[in-house]
Amino acid sequence: MWDGPTSELTYSGLRVVELAQDPQGEIVGKLLADQGADVVKVEPPGGSAGRRIGPWAQGHEGDPDHSLHFWTYNTGKRSVVVDTSTAEGRQERGALITDADVLITSAGPRDLEADGLDLHALVDELPHLIVLSVSPFGLTGPWAEWRSSDLVALAAGGILMSCGYDDHTIPPIRPGGNQAFQIAASFGHCGVLLALLERQATGLGQLVDVSMHEAVAVSGELANPYWFYPRVLLERQTCRHAQPSPTQPALFECADGVQVYFALILSDDRTWTTLVEWLTTLGLDLDLGGEEYLSLAYRQEHFSHIQTIMESFFLMQDSVTVYEEAQRRGLPIGPVFAPEQLLDDPHLRERGFFVPVAAGDGEPALFPGAPFRFSYGTGGPKAPPRLGADTAAVVSGLAAGEVAS
Amino acid sequence: MTSVNESPARPAHRTPVPRVGPLAGVRVADFCWMGVGSVATRMLADFGAEVIKIENRRRIDRPRLLPIYKGEARNYGEEVPDADPNRGGLHNNYSRNKLGITVDMKSPKGRDLVDRLISVSSVVTENFAPGVMERWGLTYERLDELSPNVVYGRMSGFGHSGPHAHFKSYGPIVQAVSGLSFISGLPGREPSGWGLSYMDNQAAYYNSAALMMAILRRNKTGRGAEVDVSAVEVGISMIGPDMLDVTVNGHHTRRPDFPRGNRLEHPPAAPHGVYPSDSDDRWIAIAVFGDDDWTRFVEAIGRPAWTEDPRFATEGSRRAHQDALDEHVTAWTRQRSPREAMLLLQSAGVAAGAAQTAEEINEWDPQLRERGIFFELDHPVIGEARFEGTPVTFSRTRQHTWRSAPLLGEDNHHVFGDMLGLTGDEIAELESEGVI
Repeated sequence: MWDGPTSELTYSGLRVVELAQDPQGEIVGKLLADQGADVVKVEPPGGSAGRRIGPWAQGHEGDPDHSLHFWTYNTGKRSVVVDTSTAEGRQERGALITDADVLITSAGPRDLEADGLDLHALVDELPHLIVLSVSPFGLTGPWAEWRSSDLVALAAGGILMSCGYDDHTIPPIRPGGNQAFQIAASFGHCGVLLALLERQATGLGQLVDVSMHEAVAVSGELANPYWFYPRVLLERQTCRHAQPSPTQPALFECADGVQVYFALILSDDRTWTTLVEWLTTLGLDLDLGGEEYLSLAYRQEHFSHIQTIMESFFLMQDSVTVYEEAQRRGLPIGPVFAPEQLLDDPHLRERGFFVPVAAGDGEPALFPGAPFRFSYGTGGPKAPPRLGADTAAVVSGLAAGEVAS
Repeated sequence: MTSVNESPARPAHRTPVPRVGPLAGVRVADFCWMGVGSVATRMLADFGAEVIKIENRRRIDRPRLLPIYKGEARNYGEEVPDADPNRGGLHNNYSRNKLGITVDMKSPKGRDLVDRLISVSSVVTENFAPGVMERWGLTYERLDELSPNVVYGRMSGFGHSGPHAHFKSYGPIVQAVSGLSFISGLPGREPSGWGLSYMDNQAAYYNSAALMMAILRRNKTGRGAEVDVSAVEVGISMIGPDMLDVTVNGHHTRRPDFPRGNRLEHPPAAPHGVYPSDSDDRWIAIAVFGDDDWTRFVEAIGRPAWTEDPRFATEGSRRAHQDALDEHVTAWTRQRSPREAMLLLQSAGVAAGAAQTAEEINEWDPQLRERGIFFELDHPVIGEARFEGTPVTFSRTRQHTWRSAPLLGEDNHHVFGDMLGLTGDEIAELESEGVI
């Protein structure tokens, strides 16, 4: 039984079987694989659901080995095709699970049962096994069988109501990038870690049941505390914190058409002085240098004037200049970067954040690297598997194991 | 050990108890503050670690001062002058199950106390601007001398190397510069981004995980580690397939049809959106994937004639005519409350969710209630309050909840007396000198 890394990386030597076909479970498998675990992804004939989701690498539309969705969430895993609708397939899957330290699923209770999986029975039979279920609503409760999606989870979990525009005739807008899945996966990863720590102490595994709905419901930052304490609801605002009552816009457009985020906290005298000094460099301090502006009340009263001057000031400069200069002066300002701009960011380049991964048939492409770094060694994404690439090796390994036993 | 130095006024239920759980035996000298740091060490405190929050009376942790108070609705930037640091609800939510001490790090005596605390701790955590810990001499090398094989968790916006390592950030800045704000919004408008410090939570969760990874390894190898987590890099790792569409296909996301608002291109879905209800600014999210879902959806809404329109006959055609489709769906949702629409659609097997408010999540949601995600604890100043639990149900491991957040300096006597062995007189002297 694994009780810690067998070589450099944290999860080296850890054996994981992943039945998850949805990102909330697949992301956990990826985080484990990227840091050294041997993650065997068990896929049905035809492949996991994610292989049929685009976008695709250009020229390979619809090809299950070139789904960028699949690549994103499945780096560094091995792929084994097992037909679990057959008795033989279920036996193979069972043998894989028997050898594993961690099993990852992402389906709700009815789908698990239909696939012949009883997670409680598995943990009873295999006392060392850690079973991680990351499902839409959790394995119990009146909504356990309900359907979900990233949008539906963000809505029901409350985060959606904080996101959108000042104009409330526009519905709340889902933040991009499958973040409900990401939130559930973050708790999935922490849940596995707590179970691994528990197993180091006791030798015993367990069932770890993560609900995406609950994970979203506790990740809305201020919305719950505002209900717990003053019992007020927050109103969404364009690209800035939802609040009990409206605040000033925080996006400013620059000369290059890129916006910067700057929430001016008027009550902070030091920030005010720094801002006025900076405005002076372009002759835009105007009347703001006047003594009356040293009073917070006066600043609050004349906020729209200040806001108009700042709008002109930012429009005169490109966003990268604003970013560097603001930060040099100690002001927390950042441009709203589009993903393609990240590739040219000098900081990310120096840290070597993006790493080449040989996925598919083409040239290696850049993938986001590890989200944490350890002084003893940090892994990173490796190629996502072609469908069934490891079936022969893994299944023959099982056969050899059977002979040996 | 000297005599017990408990403050006589302390009620019994506030007295620190031996911790149980998978992290029992781990003592954390915790310099974390603000949301991202405090949430990161909260998980350790919840599951058995003895987390000692080190605070500075000269620079009070902001969540203690943010005016999230019972019976008083203020925007979170509108701090009350001379706010009571023990009244802030956000701090209570972030620092339950932690011990709290105060130390003036400007004083040599204070720094000496912290050195002694670190020497009896096995984890040190911080999320200051880079350079602060170094100014106090608390480099990884020094910490490892004080506490051999220490795990040193460093959490910052940009990470501890690179030309922007010293840049200032908080949640919305991280979201902006990591690309997460840009990919969120309607096409042709400014981004709607995020209405919360999403990355304070997510970076915190990744920091919790990274600390546990280093502890897991140390349990096996005996060796410590320095851990460097950049919130911006965590954010970029969450952009998802749009990032690879840029790096693999060379596509740019700064284009007229991006981002996509509430519509979904991958996987294709229609209807897919957030629809109005029978009441003002209350909404229902609906996600219909493929023909089987469509059939169930049509059935659930009572097979109105418009659903026979050939424009809605196939997935591709429904997507091509989403404006018309959404008008029909809206006409249906406008007749119902979000909850009614959700129950009706979910009972037919269609993915749908009311856009729930915090009130609905807390007071109505039967799923959250049955699974017990929220819990309550008393607090000497705030009184009874609710807390966000951990959304993980373990069959064996238990969260060890023993106390609401510490009052400022509440555990000075316990930590400096019982743990570090100072006498009552010595502690009183440190108090009068303003060191603690």
